[in-house]
Amino acid sequence: MRALMHGTHLRPRATGAVQRVIRRVSLGAALLLAALVLAACGVTPQTILEPTTEAARASHWLFLVVFWAGLAVFVVVEGALLYTIWRFRRRRGDTLPAQTHGNLKLEIGWTIAPTILVVLLAAFTVPVIFANAQEPEDDAIRVEAIGHQWWFEFSYPDLGVVTANELHLPVGKPAAIIIKSEDVLHSFWVPALRGKLDMVPGRTSVFRILPEQTGTFPGQCAEFCGTAHALMRFTVVVEEPEEFDAWAAHQLTDRVPPTSELAQAGEALLTPAGCALCHTIRGVTEIGTIGPDLTHVGSRTHIAANTMGMTRSDLEHWLRDSDDMKPGNLMILPRPLTEDEIEALTEYLMGLK
Amino acid sequence: MATTTVSVRPNTYAGTAWSWITTVDHKRIAVLYFVTSLAFFALGGVEALLIRLQLSRPELDLVHPDRFAELFTMHGTTMVFLALMPLSAAFFNLLVPLMIGARDVAFPRLNALSYWVYLFGGIFLNISFIAGGAPAMGWFGYAPLTATEFADTHAVDFWAFGLQILGVSSILASINFIVTIINMRAPGMTFNRMPMFVWMTLITGFLIIFAFPVITIGLVLLLFDRYLGTSFFLYQGGGDPVLWQHLFWVFGHPEVYILILPAMGIVSDVLPTFSRKPLFGYAVVAYSGAAIALVGFGVWTHHMFTVGLGPVADTAFAISTMAVAVPTGVKIFNWIATLWGGSISLRTPMLFAIGFIAMFILGGLTGVSLGSPPVDTQVQDTYYVVAHLHYVLFGGTIFGLFAGIYFWFPKMTGRMLSEGWGKVHFWLMMIGFNLAFGPQHQLGIDGMPRRIHTYGADMGWDVWNLMSTVGAWTIGLSMLIFAINAVRSMRSGRDAGPDPWDGGTLEWSMSSPPPVYNFAEVPVVDDRYPVWKEKHGGGHTGAVVAEPPVADTEHDDEEPHIHMPNPSYWPILVAAGMVLAACGLIFHQVFVLLGALIFGISLIGWIEEPPG
Repeated sequence: MRALMHGTHLRPRATGAVQRVIRRVSLGAALLLAALVLAACGVTPQTILEPTTEAARASHWLFLVVFWAGLAVFVVVEGALLYTIWRFRRRRGDTLPAQTHGNLKLEIGWTIAPTILVVLLAAFTVPVIFANAQEPEDDAIRVEAIGHQWWFEFSYPDLGVVTANELHLPVGKPAAIIIKSEDVLHSFWVPALRGKLDMVPGRTSVFRILPEQTGTFPGQCAEFCGTAHALMRFTVVVEEPEEFDAWAAHQLTDRVPPTSELAQAGEALLTPAGCALCHTIRGVTEIGTIGPDLTHVGSRTHIAANTMGMTRSDLEHWLRDSDDMKPGNLMILPRPLTEDEIEALTEYLMGLK
Repeated sequence: MATTTVSVRPNTYAGTAWSWITTVDHKRIAVLYFVTSLAFFALGGVEALLIRLQLSRPELDLVHPDRFAELFTMHGTTMVFLALMPLSAAFFNLLVPLMIGARDVAFPRLNALSYWVYLFGGIFLNISFIAGGAPAMGWFGYAPLTATEFADTHAVDFWAFGLQILGVSSILASINFIVTIINMRAPGMTFNRMPMFVWMTLITGFLIIFAFPVITIGLVLLLFDRYLGTSFFLYQGGGDPVLWQHLFWVFGHPEVYILILPAMGIVSDVLPTFSRKPLFGYAVVAYSGAAIALVGFGVWTHHMFTVGLGPVADTAFAISTMAVAVPTGVKIFNWIATLWGGSISLRTPMLFAIGFIAMFILGGLTGVSLGSPPVDTQVQDTYYVVAHLHYVLFGGTIFGLFAGIYFWFPKMTGRMLSEGWGKVHFWLMMIGFNLAFGPQHQLGIDGMPRRIHTYGADMGWDVWNLMSTVGAWTIGLSMLIFAINAVRSMRSGRDAGPDPWDGGTLEWSMSSPPPVYNFAEVPVVDDRYPVWKEKHGGGHTGAVVAEPPVADTEHDDEEPHIHMPNPSYWPILVAAGMVLAACGLIFHQVFVLLGALIFGISLIGWIEEPPG
């Protein structure tokens, strides 16, 4: 009875075939891994590892603290695990090991050790939480960032500027980003500038961004918001104050009147084709408020919430079949446009610099 | 004890389909739970494979974004509520009575009801795929995407009613197991001698009965918003979408521990067996499980650091979240100490148990990083979180549950799973898992948000995504191997005998599968590992109060005459009535009446049913 109940008579029967399979699979996986790692060294514009503001640097710094501390713990604990398994692997003729039940000192020790680590981490974290919660200065540039399905509206209440999907900020000046949503949850996230803040309908949240470097920084909606969530991106353009002032001044002007005959035909289509119901183009029509303001759409670098370039072919594609480009988008045309109308509207919109 | 001869295999599972429908035997109900939850696990897995296919390359057009949203919503919902929780419940059913020396659970018919409600609820939820579209707002159902304005089909109703139904199942099962564990332990089986799996079952039971009422309330309010035009979660009527987030995560975070604690219990019983040593720091492992559960109720807003609740709330919940690392770390140290000095045999169950520890360490560490709000606001809602949660729930829970499957399959079926194919399964799953979810850490750091159905080629995410997809399909392959192994072994696996692993707890004292009545005589327990003590000498008393030593419980081979509860068809009817009524709320009111009628009549039948 006793001999029977020792597990030893049930040796694993790993046959040669099985072992060969294991060997081949592990070899294949290792080769694949190596190839992919080599191929993975590309450019990642939306990385969290290239902060350009104090707030983003604070997050980044904390991330590195947690990463290296975590890596150290990982190596030590996994190492202890693997070493233990190797050292105490069952050998032929093993006798019954010592039946230890516990050790109070060890228990106290390995309760205190993680506690110290956690307390240290909390001590590093808490000041950053409060630093990053700093209220924007009174003279900060106020920008309302409003989430829509599926695009971002940016309006500067003090300047009177309203635009979409392209947020301009002057370098070196604090900005108060006033975050709202028009419909469902969205999230405002530009990794280079700072961590994300959710756009919650019915709530207004404010955070401060103090850009330190000029450049163009990609952002993206980070809270699932329905069909086209993946296609809801935006850009932040940080520029010299003079450039920003010039940009803002230009944004305040009415649309640039079309010069070519084709573009004029495009402008004439705004009302009959239904555009004017949702879009404002100052100087022509100001009743539409549902869709993005298009007064200076031609000056923006992208269309369709920064998922397509401001190019003739993309714009034509959009006007021909927006649902193909961005499934679920809420642009409704009363009737399909003819190819001539598409050409005219494209010419017109691209001219709205 | 443990003297029935190896060749006798009781016909525990023999009988007609009717005998399965009316069964109240915890072992048969366990089989039903295993089969059903693994089927749903396969379904959730296929959903994941489709998600990974769509994301394998940038700008692919294989799955429409709305279908994609259905897939990730149903993948999450299915894995949490239809696969992992019920798979844990399968283990509760199979093991708790065997481990504590009981002949069944406290309420056998209630146990059957839990299963049928779960089965029908799971089917109900999935009917949505063919009845106008599955839910597509994420498994967390954030308002206001669940509002009629944004979800005008019945998808959200299927989801909300489905979760309510499944909640009934979970709460009933939890009450049943809590009562069973508290009241039906064999003489001498003090709390301090219970197998660790039973401890974790008990704690999980309390977690469920405290956490599920919160989601129940949340779902009721949501259904009010949808059916009665209230505005609990709609700001236009004075409500607040953030209220839903609080309610969901007050439930949702304990839910994570509901998913991990049973696997921790399994691992705590597998490790000692294959190290031939008792669990190190038994009391500390048990108490740290309770501590995790307790603190788990105070960390929910770490899912909401990006909502903008303010620095004070963020600080409080950051600290409570980080505190969870302490009891979790303590558990890991005790598991390693259990291995230390042992005689470690790397059989398949042991490989999975070690895999659990190895992978869970990483999931725990990334969890600590997410507990720091300034870090979290950068990586929240990115693939970093997807990687983290899968290292916990796959690297942790699923590895642990598979350790349990390989460990107790012989006890349940009387046959061994093939060891060679088991190892192929383990290594493929281990490689596939790390290939699938390891790169997702990098994707999150590179700024890839979750729940996007496509991404631009200019984002630098394509290589990692391709790796992840290859890994996911490798996991799929490993599961196929497991399925074939399980089916073949069930038919022609080697005879397991009562105690194939040289186990220590009571379930190894009886034939495999156990006879219908489990124990011919109720055992008297004076040790944490009574069967081990019988074989190798004891000493794991863990007793403050010493029980009198056990008399020999040997019995002869005659079938003892033991009264067992009668089969009953009322549980399945009660469950059917309940789910039919829910169908009625979606399709036609007449089914509400019909369902309520069946429910009511069956309840009366249940109450009036004469004792056997």
